Amino acid sequence: MTIESARGTPVELVDHTSLLEMRGISKRFGGLQALDDVSITLRGGEVLALCGANGAGKSTLVRILAGVEQADGGEIALDGRVVPIESPQRAADLGLNFVHQELNLVPKFTGLQNMALGITAGRSGFVATKALRGRAGEVRELLGYDIPLDVPVEKLSVSDRWMVSLARSLMRPARFIAMDEPTASFTQDEADLLYGVIRELTTNGVGVLYISHRLEEVLLVSDEVTTMRDGRVVGSHRSDRLDVVSLTRHIVGHEVEEPTRHVGAKDAARGPVRLAVRGLGRKDKVSGATFDLHVGEVLGIAGLAGAGRTELARLLIGADRPSSGTMTLDGARYAPRSPHDAIRAGVALVPEERRSQGLLLGESIDTNLAVAALGRARTMFTGFSPRSSRRTGRRLAERFAVKTDDTSRPVLSLSGGNQQKVVLAKYVRTGPSVLVLDEPTVGVDVGARAEIYETIAGLAREGTSILLISSDFDELAVCDRVLVMRHGALVADVLGAQATKALLTRLCFRSGEVVPEDSTTR
Amino acid sequence: MTAVTDTGHTPLAPAARTTRAWRVIGRYGSLGMLGILVAIVAALAPTTFATSDNVINILNQSALSAVIAMGLTFALVTGEFDLSIGNIAGLSGVLACKLIVDAGASIPAAFAVAVGVGAAIGLLNGFIVTVLNVNALVATLGVGTMAVGVNYAVADGRPVGLKDPDDFLAISLGRFLGIPYPVWIMIVLAAVLWLLLNRTVLGQSMQAVGGNPVAARLSGIRVERVRVVGFMICGTLAGLTGVLLATRTAGASVSAGDSYLLSAFAAAFFGSAVLRDGQFHIVGTLVGVITVAVGFNAIALIGMETYWQYLFQGLLLIIGVGVGTVARRKTAGA
Repeated sequence: MTIESARGTPVELVDHTSLLEMRGISKRFGGLQALDDVSITLRGGEVLALCGANGAGKSTLVRILAGVEQADGGEIALDGRVVPIESPQRAADLGLNFVHQELNLVPKFTGLQNMALGITAGRSGFVATKALRGRAGEVRELLGYDIPLDVPVEKLSVSDRWMVSLARSLMRPARFIAMDEPTASFTQDEADLLYGVIRELTTNGVGVLYISHRLEEVLLVSDEVTTMRDGRVVGSHRSDRLDVVSLTRHIVGHEVEEPTRHVGAKDAARGPVRLAVRGLGRKDKVSGATFDLHVGEVLGIAGLAGAGRTELARLLIGADRPSSGTMTLDGARYAPRSPHDAIRAGVALVPEERRSQGLLLGESIDTNLAVAALGRARTMFTGFSPRSSRRTGRRLAERFAVKTDDTSRPVLSLSGGNQQKVVLAKYVRTGPSVLVLDEPTVGVDVGARAEIYETIAGLAREGTSILLISSDFDELAVCDRVLVMRHGALVADVLGAQATKALLTRLCFRSGEVVPEDSTTR
Repeated sequence: MTAVTDTGHTPLAPAARTTRAWRVIGRYGSLGMLGILVAIVAALAPTTFATSDNVINILNQSALSAVIAMGLTFALVTGEFDLSIGNIAGLSGVLACKLIVDAGASIPAAFAVAVGVGAAIGLLNGFIVTVLNVNALVATLGVGTMAVGVNYAVADGRPVGLKDPDDFLAISLGRFLGIPYPVWIMIVLAAVLWLLLNRTVLGQSMQAVGGNPVAARLSGIRVERVRVVGFMICGTLAGLTGVLLATRTAGASVSAGDSYLLSAFAAAFFGSAVLRDGQFHIVGTLVGVITVAVGFNAIALIGMETYWQYLFQGLLLIIGVGVGTVARRKTAGA
């Protein structure tokens, strides 16, 4: 009854006592101050949105609240009482609930069965089906959403699954729910349904912490917005006093110049086009990507998590098939049907997940360095010489400064940064003319990071065209040019020298409707 | 594994020494078991065990198990399973005999057809697993069961015997340089297969696919193709085993190959704990097969009841793989 819409006329606010307070929270990871004296306040029956760029500290804050991480300093108070949250179990006992993007549902179980998980069985040891169904019905009523209870969740849409996950958290009395990027894979209609559910929840006095990159949505559903930057809270504002432009300004930190001025002022002295991409798309993940990658160019792709950058990279190397669009490589048609085709044509991807996609964890450094060369072989029925392969591998390890005295050691004996160098080296070994790097320095220490940038620059000087996907916008300073991707589309093209963190962050958040004169939209 | 980075000249902490001991046990434990087994039996039966005749006898008894187990090793290396090998062996043996008896086919022709059928079934397995995306256990169980059905249709479920068996039997009984042909076949195949696995792009690709299929695919390896080839090698060698088995008795029956399924798995898994950290490889599989054969031979020589063979084989598998697993955990966790 308190909030119909934050955009609507100011409604009379009942005296909300604070439901949840985090006060002076600090957290340090090694040399990085992830959170610095962060305080947030959430009143019962309200929606508090948490906004900030990648790495602003939102996730860390939520993880501390969920008991997954422990804060170095500060305290958490529930109903004004300080409560230690030392484990996820404790958070659940306190009535704090979290719906993450990874839903952790059992695919073969029905909605009801999933909701019953974690509920202790009846005294007899049997599952009290009738009681559960009754409780599920109450939850359904509470949400005002018709959750399918008797269909295996694998058959449900993404949003229905999300709702099941939310409903599961409500099977026990809940005071507070944190939602992390709930609408990332929702359609507009589904998102509208979620907004309705959130209204139902707040009407019942539940406090909601809402994390989203979609600023219009944030302004629509929230009562208050707390913005974070570089591990600090930069401000808290009532949502009805904000618009997308002012909110963007809070996130970025200061007034930034109009991006349109930069675009079009392209570097004249650029080499011939190596890879031309025209209208490349795949379902709703990537739409109409069009760009040129030149010989020896380092081209960055900036974007928020889920913007479709990895999906675009997979289209470039034939790991997925595009549903539209064409590519040409050095003037010839390029339509890879598999990573094998791509690597033979000279296009390689250094994947995002080092351990699950990059390495054979049980094998030696030597073997890992050889794998992409195997993949490049035209026929598999040719000889393989371990000795010469090891020799080539050792040269590569030296060139990439992989810190080991013996390349026959297990690859797991290396640090994360050196493992990443191995992944990079195995692809460079195939002599690619286009090298796509997806988040190449995640989990890499500062020293190895500098060496990786040096390698990238060196490859570009030799004429290799580099496509660098990164969420670390400082890192994109190594690029000649940066494309910005938002909701599956490339929306801006910025010269490297002008691609400041502030500008890129703003471009990543800004939506086309807000700036109609935005000629950067492709 | 990660803890020990010393190169030998630094004084070892006790923990590091324990780690190293465990690594040695993990790598060489299975081989040590074979050595201990040989020593014990040689002591218990000094006049009969350690003779050249008995060694040849053991190798001869190992030959067929080795051929089928080395084939299975290829499927396992790519990270797949093949439960149809016993049935393939049964079918190819019956087919070969049937072709000779009923169609008057020559021995080489019968061999070629029967082995070719093994390869074709392997191809079918690979197709079902990679294209239809059916779990390998289910796919090969289904295909194997169908092979049994075909087998019954071909032979009416009756054993097939050759009327003029001498040339056929000669394949099993003949000797070159005093060593039976099946042993030569095992040795030559082992060499060829070792080269295939370790000295060709195909073999290395198989190991990469088994290690991490996602990384292998993103590295440009044609994962599906590699898996299909693995199944084909597996099926081909199962077919060959079936025909060789038929040459032992100049006859074949539907269920003749059945016992080879479990013994091949036992040998390959035991072998995965030999010299390497849980990876399947040709030498390991051979050691596994020979260890089992030595045990069986000893049980016969010492005069123990036949049921001891099963107890021995099961125990050997569990100890071999178990010690390797424990050793890996100890070295990784230290």
